[in-house]
Parts: sequence; C-alpha cells; structure tokens
Amino acid sequence: MKILQSNAGVLTNCEVLELLKSRGAGKDPTRVIAAVAPSEFKVYDYLEQTVASKQTIEIIHKFVEDCKKYDLANGEMLNVVNIRPSSAVEIDPIIQDCDSRMGDRIDEFLENVVQVLPPYPSQLESNEDTAEDKEETTDDQQMGVK
Amino acid sequence: MFVMSEIEHTLRLPPHLLNRPLNAAIKGELESLFLDKVIDKLGLCVSMYDILSIDGGFIFPGDGASTYTARFRLVMFRPYVGEVISARLKESTKDGLRLSLGFFDDIYVPVPLMPNPYHTEPDPEHKNGTRWVWEYMGENYPIDWADEIRFRVHTVNYPPLPVEQGKDSEQKDSEEKDSRQKDLKPFAPMVITGSLDADGLGPTAWWV
Repeated sequence: MKILQSNAGVLTNCEVLELLKSRGAGKDPTRVIAAVAPSEFKVYDYLEQTVASKQTIEIIHKFVEDCKKYDLANGEMLNVVNIRPSSAVEIDPIIQDCDSRMGDRIDEFLENVVQVLPPYPSQLESNEDTAEDKEETTDDQQMGVK
Repeated sequence: MFVMSEIEHTLRLPPHLLNRPLNAAIKGELESLFLDKVIDKLGLCVSMYDILSIDGGFIFPGDGASTYTARFRLVMFRPYVGEVISARLKESTKDGLRLSLGFFDDIYVPVPLMPNPYHTEPDPEHKNGTRWVWEYMGENYPIDWADEIRFRVHTVNYPPLPVEQGKDSEQKDSEEKDSRQKDLKPFAPMVITGSLDADGLGPTAWWV
C-alpha cells in the first residue's frame, strides 16, 4: 500500500452525508440491500443527528462566498459549517483569537451563519423564546428545502 | 472531521469474483480491506470516495488470480487539532470522561482537561461511575448522560501495536499477565484526547 497524498481535500460533514446518501444509505430501512457497510451506517446515523442533514452543497458554497471578507482559516470555516454556532459563546472555541480578529463584526458574522445555514430542529426549539430568531430560521428551512 | 486520502494499492482479485464487473469487484475487495480500519497517520477509513485508476491485471505464475494496481481515494476520519466536535457521553469515571461518536468510541477527556473548577460525586445510576459537576459563579452544572457534548480536539495519537512478550517470561508470570489483561481495555489504534476547558465547550445545554 502506498500513500500518494495523505490530504487530497477536506470534506464537510454535508459532503460525506451526500456521498452516503448517493449510495442509498437513507432509503433502505432494512439496511441490508444498499451498497453501504454497517460501519458506514454508523457514520450516517451520526451525521443525520447533526446540522449537516439539513445542508446542501449550494448552501455551503453561498456561505463560503459570504464569509470571504472575514478572512477565516479553512479549518475554522469548516468547523462553523459543521457545528452551526448560533451565539458568540459557541463561536469562541472555534475561531482562535476571536475577540482580536473579529471584534464587533462577530454579531454580523453570527447573523450570516444563522441566516444562511439551516438549523437542526433541536436548535429551533431552543430559539423559541426569541421571536425574531424564530422567524429568520423558519424562513431558512423553507429556503433550504427548495 | 473528514479528509480525503489518495492511496495506491496492489491487490489480488480472487478468481470467484471474475464474473463481476471489474470496478465493482475491485471496490468490494478494497472495502473489505480498508473500511473501518485505522491507517497510521491517516486516521479511520470511513468510506471509499472513488477509484481513480485500475492498472495491471497480470497473472503471476502459479497463481489463479489476477493482480491489479488500483489508485483510489478514501474518506478518512481525521480531525485536526483544535477542531470542535459534538459527541455523546459513553463513560464517566474518576479518570475523566469517555465520549463516543457512534462510529468512533476512543475519545478521552482526562482530568486535567476538564472544565475548572469542578467537583465529582459518585454516580447514583452507574456503579463505579463518577458524575462530574462544573462550578461556575456559584452554580453547579453537571455533565449528564443525555447531553450532546462539544469538545475540542487536543491530540490525536496512533499508539503502536502491542508486541507480545517472549515465551520464557510468559510461562513464569502467566497468571500475573492474565489478571492484568483482564483489566486492560481492548487495544485502540487511534485515540483522540479532547478538552472541555474553554467557553462554549461541554454539554450544549450549558450554553444554549
């Protein structure tokens, strides 16, 4: 076995989920007929529980375009797409030196995240108190489903 | 979390697979070889992304099967240091926490990387278990079993395969070794050490 390239590209959770779905992971309730191994099904189960299950490639492209101006590292953008932080305290461990690099623009960035990336249903419930957030996120869900 | 790695491998295609289309047969063989296995420095192989090329098809003398050299890309689970990942609690002991992703269970949060200050109490539900509680501004925040826990990757280790002792020493202290081996956990080829010691980490219920 020869390793030609140990890093031939990074994949977001969404892309891995799409790969597994294209092989038939989602549609097979018996989990025997699809060309997907049991270990791959475990990955599929994990990813279905995250926000990646509601994202599409177009949404991610749009998000990356919108965030070019914030000058984030690739790893940080990948992490934001995978986790979808909705508050400043959640962003803090993801972006290094968050305060000094983003400062006031953190709210703007969070707006961007919450608007472009669809939430996972459990996140939607916790936002019920803030009526404004709820309107924005329900709009996203409709946009994402199209 | 997931990275693509390009690998080249020479494999022997068993004759009973000759009636299948070449791509499918090679893919099946490679999957049985690599899937759910850890490759040193590359991580845990999750899935095959695609096959780039298949060369060869030579039959070596004395062998009934043909040998192919395939170049392909694998989806590897290899988190980078500093990545924040969501996981579930698997075990909670006095040495720290063990978290699980469903497909990967060897994520440990040792005591030095737990949120500070904390106190522990014996877990009423699991015997020999410990419940960890974070103290912040006079409030107690426990780490419960139902939570989704976010941790930051501190290190990713690939411990080498354990080498068995020589035969002489085995005979003498075989009893000792048996009792030790019962306590040891099964060998983990890839171990992730996580940290919960920062704002925004730990159960999401603490922050949302």
